[in-house]
Amino acid sequence: MFNLNTLVLKAQSFIDPNASPAAKSSDSQSSKAALFRLQFRLPDSQNPLHEVTAEFSFAPPSASREKPRPHDRSSSYVGKLHLSESFLCFSTQPTSFHPAASIQASTAFNGQTHGAGPAGNGFTLPLVAIRRVERLQTQNALFALAITTANGFTTASPASPLTSTQKLTVQLAGSRQACETFCDGLKRALRDATKDTSSLKAVVLQCYSEYLLSERFQKGVDTPEVAPKGPPDSGLGFLFRYPGDARKLRDKSKMRLWAEYLRENGRNLTLVRHPTFTRLFRVGLPNRLRGELWELTSGSLYSRLQKPSLYSDTLSKFDGRESLAIDEIEKDLNRSLPEYAGFQSQEGIGRLRRVLTAYSWMNEEVGYCQAMNIVVAALLIYMSEAQAFSLLCVLCDRLLPGYYSTTMYGTILDQRVFESLVEKTMPILWNHLVKSDVQLSVVSLPWFLSLYINSMPLVFAVRVLDVFFLEGPKVLFQIGLAILRMNGEELLDVTDDGTFIQILKEYFSHLHESAHPTSENEKYRNVTRFQELMVVAFREFSGITQNTISEQRTRHKDAVLDNIETFAKRTSIRNLGPDSKRLSLDDLDFLYDRFYGTLYEREQRMHMMREETEKRKKVGQVKATEMVTGIAGNSSIEMGRVGLGPSPTLMNYDGFREFLASITKWAITDSPTSPRKDSTADKENGFFGSSNRNRSVSMISPWGAGNAEPADHDFMQRLYGRWNQHDNDGLSLQDVVSGMAHVKGTTDIMSSISYFFELYDDDSDGKVDREGILRISEALLFLTRRGLGDELSPSPSSSNLDQDNDVDLKGASTDERFLSSVSAFIRRCFEYADPDHPQNQSNERGANETQLSAGIEQFSVGGDDEDDEEDLLDLGADTVKSSTSESPTTSPPRLLPNTPSQPTSKTTFRKTSANLALDPANPLHITLPTFRMVILADELLQRFFETSFPASFRLSPTIQRSSTSSSTLTTFSTPANLLPVPSNRVVLPGNKGLRGVLDNIVSDGMKVALEVKKRMDEAQRELEKNAVEVQRPHAEEDEEDEEHRGHGGDVNDDRRSVLEKDRDLLEGAEAEVVVEGKGVEAGGGVQEGRKEMGDLIDMGFGGEGGPVEGRGKVVEFER
Amino acid sequence: MAESAAAATKPSSSVKLVLLGEAAVGKSSLVLRFVNNHFQENKEPTIGAAFLTQKCNLPHRTIKFEIWDTAGQERFASLAPMYYRNAQSALVVYDITKPTSLVKARHWVAELQRQASPGIVIALVGNKSDLSTSADGETASSTDNSKKGSSAASEDEANGGDDAPAVEAEDDGAADSDPRKVSTKEGREYAEEEGLLFFETSAKSGHNVQEVFTAIANAIPETQMKNVKGPGMAGGAQSALGAGNERVNLNGPRADSKDSCAC
Repeated sequence: MFNLNTLVLKAQSFIDPNASPAAKSSDSQSSKAALFRLQFRLPDSQNPLHEVTAEFSFAPPSASREKPRPHDRSSSYVGKLHLSESFLCFSTQPTSFHPAASIQASTAFNGQTHGAGPAGNGFTLPLVAIRRVERLQTQNALFALAITTANGFTTASPASPLTSTQKLTVQLAGSRQACETFCDGLKRALRDATKDTSSLKAVVLQCYSEYLLSERFQKGVDTPEVAPKGPPDSGLGFLFRYPGDARKLRDKSKMRLWAEYLRENGRNLTLVRHPTFTRLFRVGLPNRLRGELWELTSGSLYSRLQKPSLYSDTLSKFDGRESLAIDEIEKDLNRSLPEYAGFQSQEGIGRLRRVLTAYSWMNEEVGYCQAMNIVVAALLIYMSEAQAFSLLCVLCDRLLPGYYSTTMYGTILDQRVFESLVEKTMPILWNHLVKSDVQLSVVSLPWFLSLYINSMPLVFAVRVLDVFFLEGPKVLFQIGLAILRMNGEELLDVTDDGTFIQILKEYFSHLHESAHPTSENEKYRNVTRFQELMVVAFREFSGITQNTISEQRTRHKDAVLDNIETFAKRTSIRNLGPDSKRLSLDDLDFLYDRFYGTLYEREQRMHMMREETEKRKKVGQVKATEMVTGIAGNSSIEMGRVGLGPSPTLMNYDGFREFLASITKWAITDSPTSPRKDSTADKENGFFGSSNRNRSVSMISPWGAGNAEPADHDFMQRLYGRWNQHDNDGLSLQDVVSGMAHVKGTTDIMSSISYFFELYDDDSDGKVDREGILRISEALLFLTRRGLGDELSPSPSSSNLDQDNDVDLKGASTDERFLSSVSAFIRRCFEYADPDHPQNQSNERGANETQLSAGIEQFSVGGDDEDDEEDLLDLGADTVKSSTSESPTTSPPRLLPNTPSQPTSKTTFRKTSANLALDPANPLHITLPTFRMVILADELLQRFFETSFPASFRLSPTIQRSSTSSSTLTTFSTPANLLPVPSNRVVLPGNKGLRGVLDNIVSDGMKVALEVKKRMDEAQRELEKNAVEVQRPHAEEDEEDEEHRGHGGDVNDDRRSVLEKDRDLLEGAEAEVVVEGKGVEAGGGVQEGRKEMGDLIDMGFGGEGGPVEGRGKVVEFER
Repeated sequence: MAESAAAATKPSSSVKLVLLGEAAVGKSSLVLRFVNNHFQENKEPTIGAAFLTQKCNLPHRTIKFEIWDTAGQERFASLAPMYYRNAQSALVVYDITKPTSLVKARHWVAELQRQASPGIVIALVGNKSDLSTSADGETASSTDNSKKGSSAASEDEANGGDDAPAVEAEDDGAADSDPRKVSTKEGREYAEEEGLLFFETSAKSGHNVQEVFTAIANAIPETQMKNVKGPGMAGGAQSALGAGNERVNLNGPRADSKDSCAC
């Protein structure tokens, strides 16, 4: 039983990964993976695969073995060894993730960096940098691995190949099985890693440490045959001098210390972290190594290793293209650290331009934000372009999330976090600031945004950066708090923003001075204010951890985003143009919410579906070496939220349909599950097409679960075309507002009528032709097919008509009357239409005459050409085209304002009767005055234009509150409000039926009333029947309608057969599931087989290295 | 400029002034010229905002300007309320060689009129007049009007019909060597319409810079002055970013001005 259950689950997860419980765990897995990546600063593609407790001991390379250093306490640490797809990591810090752990558990520990940096002693080894892994012989049957790294391989000469060989010994302390699993994983990963060794050399050679050590090495051993290459690009500082006085900075001694450290503990990719490492960072890095070490500790080195040519590729890919970001960058190039000599030269400016431009293409959503120029300029002093580029990517994506986005929510959020930290740690100062109405963020915002670079002198700012890259974003907060602490006394006297800023400015300019100028102790006197600041920051505020920051961010995030969104909304509504003044502020408010709500929901669904297809793809592939994760972690959940940055601002036609469906009744489709035929593929980006196909499988509707599927009607297309004033790819909010202002902003019946008329006046010559008249009448029926009674009743002018509570009965009769009104409308239109040609015959006669379907075929095209120049040849051609394109479609006609279109589908052809009014030889048209007259002649039509049409757009938030306030995916949860209760009735005379009615009207105006009555009676009967079975699912209902329309007759029989068919289908589906299950089982068998093979391999390996203490090589690589 | 012997006896008050406008129109340079009488060719872009002070001597009083110079890039706009909060005066700057910057200036004026302290004195300033080759810009007006319109419409969809109609006219012939793209007339007319002070300045040459600030000082009614070193109003509005719900008010300007002046 249990087995069966799991099988079914497996099968389900195979079919639909989203619906299975596994999806839930993948969520926590992603956060676990995120923490893992954060801890070791790994690229997004890495996931924790295996971990095992281990003891790591490290033997310095043989070169330095001769003179063992006293402080070299035979490094040996206990910690955890982790394996990801292409990294092997070790850290003494309790790791921030755990196989079964939740986020809480992982954030609970109080390490130095809380998983935010490569803290603790250990290493982060890219597997490509591992040369050889051996299993060591041990006394007590423990697993021990000797890892030989590629350390210094670029400098190893044939004469002394072993001088820089680095060996790491790791003793695995897990259970035997755990160790074996780990070794297995390692073996497999190592095998995969051999593929990308080529990039290793390219990346490593750009590291200054290689040059540094090779030079020294050569000096020592004196092998002149190895030609010394020039040093790699270590930033503009190499050409234009590094800022600060190198002697004062004691750059040389720092360099010596680092050379020693690197020689003993490995360089760049193969570096091993010891306690000294952190200490060396705190005293400041030597200028030439700074870039490389930033790159290493931030992890950008690893992303560069994965894609070494990303920078140059991006540049060449977008070469010559222009963008807004580029314009903005251009403005600032000459004003980025302008006092530094390197940026007064074309060389420096050029580098800056290229890096910023490349990033703006890399991440077009962020583009370029002022302050990035300053940060990048500082980076470029110490590192090459490619290095700065990949570091900038890491900065924006990981270290400073949302700082430079278009809404800068990250920056603003962190100001809130900073304020709350000040409140917590320095309550007296905080209270004083509050009392004096001084805003902390006015001073702190530039600190965070430009990483103190333009607040402090550059020499000090880069030292903050040293620690920042090593320990993570919390450093910014610690430094900020320390700055306030150091100036606490003076700040307590401050009463306004100005003085506050002045004091801090003053402080920054004296950072180089002695902190204790009057002290008698020389050591004390030598301590600069900056050193003092660093000590305070990391000692007094050591309690500020990444964990603190994350917690505070979560706490304030919503408020900050809401604020930004309200600001955006306010600004947006204010700038909507003069038309917006015709709508009330509440209406604008509502429209704004609805507009962006729709876009947001669509974005979310697109995102979900994209993920879905991606997952599918992944399942399809055996192994995806590179994951296309897109957005990391939590941010993906809120994609498209206005406050988070660039969100879509244009609504395409499908979005418009959805938008309309959420504010009007008539825009909801009658046949929700009918597959949508996309005859106009150009309109759609092709995505929905594919998603529709597998929708039945994935259960994700393109309109969102629970949302009513919008209809698609000629009228909606016309409205869309009309509102799209700027011919963009979609409607902007302004378009929607001014469109709405014309529909709803006026209660004047005359303008309402002319608006309608203009909608159908394609060539805006003041005439609507026969085709147009028919379309108008069809639109009138379309708009009122859910009844106009309950739309009219709330309006005061119609109080005399629909006051009955019995909406059903009364509404039906009103609708019935409306139908005859429409038929009368058509009749009258033709009656009073002006002939285009004088020889046109009277319409009276035409109405009685009948024609054959050929005539209709031609009529169906009549509308898209000018009446005056009708050309029979053309018409014929069009007809053929259109009828062929239309005939296989059973969906409602899809009419674009500018394409040849037909209001009639094949049902038209079934009708054999028509009248002379349709005779293309007698083109006619009505003018606006005629149209107006015809409308005003009918009380119901007049009422429709006066009240019910404008009122059909419901902006009042009271009706829709549930759908606006909660912007969740299931927003459209108010079908009861929008769908009139007798929904089945209106479904029945749906598209085909409607057209049928219309045809009848056209063919014989006099019989219309009868026909309508018949249909209404049918509908009523159907309604009563349906009322018995309210609970029927949608799909069924629809299919049944189809059936009903098809056979017309025996409804009951039809239903039974349909239901039976359904049951068959269901059974079929079950069978499929079973089959799938078997498939999975079979797959499991295969896996089993593979595992067996693995076991075999293991056996071989275990045989050597098992209980019999042999010496077995796990994997051996010789490169 | 502010050397006056009688200053000590004259009443002194301080005025908060905020500079707003598109990026790189010369806001910081204007301030630098006013405060230090100095011009720097490549001024670093302002991050967030810069704060400077300068005294301005009027015949009967001395005014100390507390100048908030804000960042111009579009995405910094949401930070602006933090800076113009409680401001009694504002300098909305555009670049006479960039029609889009005037569009942005109009947005700022609208924003200030609805969101800032009531009675805020706003000056519209067209900067970089040194780049204009025509004396007063009137010659450039006819062609530039249309150009401004079209580019404005394309650059800023939210701009609406408030602005000049988008005339499709690109008579941007060889004759148009004048870098000036916004005529004096256009700026002035808009300023008059909205009741703003109007100047064309050059931070580079110093032309009109002092005049702008003097005019603002004169335009501020004495009742609005806050006393120098006057204790700030107590108020929980410590943060416009966080708890600043009062910052975002759809229904009109904030009522709680620091000076609670009635106007």
